[in-house]
Amino acid sequence: MVYPGVLDGIPIRMVKGDAEPILNSRELDEIEQLINLVEEARKDLLIMYQYDKHIHLESSLTSLEILATIHLFKKSSENLVDRDWLILSKGHAAPALYAILAELGVIPKSELININSINSILQNHPEISIPGVDVSTGSLAQGLSIGVGIATWIKSVGGCGRVFVVMGDGENDEGQVWESITHAAMLNLNNLIVVVDWNGHQHDGSVRKVKPKDYLPLVWRAIGWRVLWANGHDIVSLMIAIESALKSDRPTVIFAQTDKNRRVAVDVDLYAE
Amino acid sequence: MSSCKSFREEFGKLLIEIGEKSDRVVVVTADVGLSTRASMFGEKFRDRYFNVGIAEQHLIGFAAGLAIAGAIPIATAFAEFILRGWEQIRNSVARMNLNVKIVATHAGYSDHADGASHQALEDIALMRVLPNMAVVVPADTADLRRCFEKLVLEYRGPTYIRLGRDYAPPVTEDVDYEYEVGKAYILKDGHDVAIIGAGVVLHEALVAAKELDKRGISACVVNLLNIKPIDVDTIVAVAKKTGRVVVVEEHMVYGGVGSAVAEILVQRYPVPMRLLGATSFGRSAKSQQELLSYYGLDNKSIIKTVLEVMNHE
Repeated sequence: MVYPGVLDGIPIRMVKGDAEPILNSRELDEIEQLINLVEEARKDLLIMYQYDKHIHLESSLTSLEILATIHLFKKSSENLVDRDWLILSKGHAAPALYAILAELGVIPKSELININSINSILQNHPEISIPGVDVSTGSLAQGLSIGVGIATWIKSVGGCGRVFVVMGDGENDEGQVWESITHAAMLNLNNLIVVVDWNGHQHDGSVRKVKPKDYLPLVWRAIGWRVLWANGHDIVSLMIAIESALKSDRPTVIFAQTDKNRRVAVDVDLYAE
Repeated sequence: MSSCKSFREEFGKLLIEIGEKSDRVVVVTADVGLSTRASMFGEKFRDRYFNVGIAEQHLIGFAAGLAIAGAIPIATAFAEFILRGWEQIRNSVARMNLNVKIVATHAGYSDHADGASHQALEDIALMRVLPNMAVVVPADTADLRRCFEKLVLEYRGPTYIRLGRDYAPPVTEDVDYEYEVGKAYILKDGHDVAIIGAGVVLHEALVAAKELDKRGISACVVNLLNIKPIDVDTIVAVAKKTGRVVVVEEHMVYGGVGSAVAEILVQRYPVPMRLLGATSFGRSAKSQQELLSYYGLDNKSIIKTVLEVMNHE
């Protein structure tokens, strides 16, 4: 795993895939099943891309393991404040969410290739009308504010629900992120877990080229968040980080290192558009 | 009825009353708790009061999250600065049809001293254009009292309630009607011309109508406090009865109350119309009334406009 150099020598707690065994005792085949599920979802995404070049393939590919791992932890309940919530604040990765939901049997797998078709339920950005989608997103940085609101009401009424928010690194450019992370820290929302898909790319190219972001983990930490790192393509690494975050007494952000060019299994021209 | 004669004082009182009725009611503000009087709720219900700091985009998103989880959030700030979260209102609230109540204070020229930067004259247009959004402009504090509890506890869906700061001359105090979402109310009957408006300008409209009576012109005055959903039947009925319509609003003449009325009449029953409203930014002044006169929204301007539309061929 590669950590940004800026963090060298700075005591941000890091959790690696090979760190102390803090995973709950889960059957090994549960992890294996999840790895297989991600592989199937990855194939689904590539097939979806063949049908519609407008899906955001790269951003979807980097979020697969993150979304799959969160679904492993995500508990449901009839009660709005006892269930868990997943907000895909980087809404352009919706195809990844749909692929995971299809592999979990929440939406029909046959619907995936219809994404963006005029009569399909599957929109290019998440809509709550789609089964398994908790919050409509698509305009960057709005998901986290919503997550702060949900987590706050859960705590206000003594519910046991947790809120997972998946963001992009580029998304952190938005001022609303500042507005929401400062508030979440002030409210000490330990039922709020943010995973930042640290893939190093945003719309116009490399984040370093558009607006460098190496300082971000330090900013989140300085504001009062617990900051963890994970390998965003490694289920076990993500599980360890999430297990740790769930035990936190503060809001936790997991910077999940991912790679936009990783594991594209078939010949796909990513820059066709 | 013991209404305060200030929009925000009445709003603060109503918040406490509604907070006692439902423990799902939560008040959220953006460092304007004191100015909006939301702090009155905060003193009484500390656990259900959130000040997000000077952060209007997050104010809206946070309220959206509260609503998703089952609360009834009332998000309040100055109308002008709520517009800073307009895209959040669109994408985080209206698109999911969430039960968020936005109470925008200091609208129109009511923040008279602070000038152009603080005077919201575009908000009705910007809220009216959003799918699912209800837009309500109470005429005075009695009107606010009449509609508030229904809008918060009974009506479900995103709602924008537009209030002034303090200036709230009595308009509906002696009128007896029960508030209903989507309905307009006739404040004074008449058969020569219909003056339709929303908010404190209705006070000017009533003064104008009285003066017009003396001059032998019978003016009907309509309180269009529900800008959206809008009362098509009442608007068409008064247009049919009078054949002449003047709309007056403390808002841009583009896209606001006048436009909403015109959209209906041009399709259903076209009559000669005149629209009175702002055409540019405001400015600082010593009082709201002074600004209403300065920008041609007082009773004299209304009378002049009525005479003009009466002579329309």
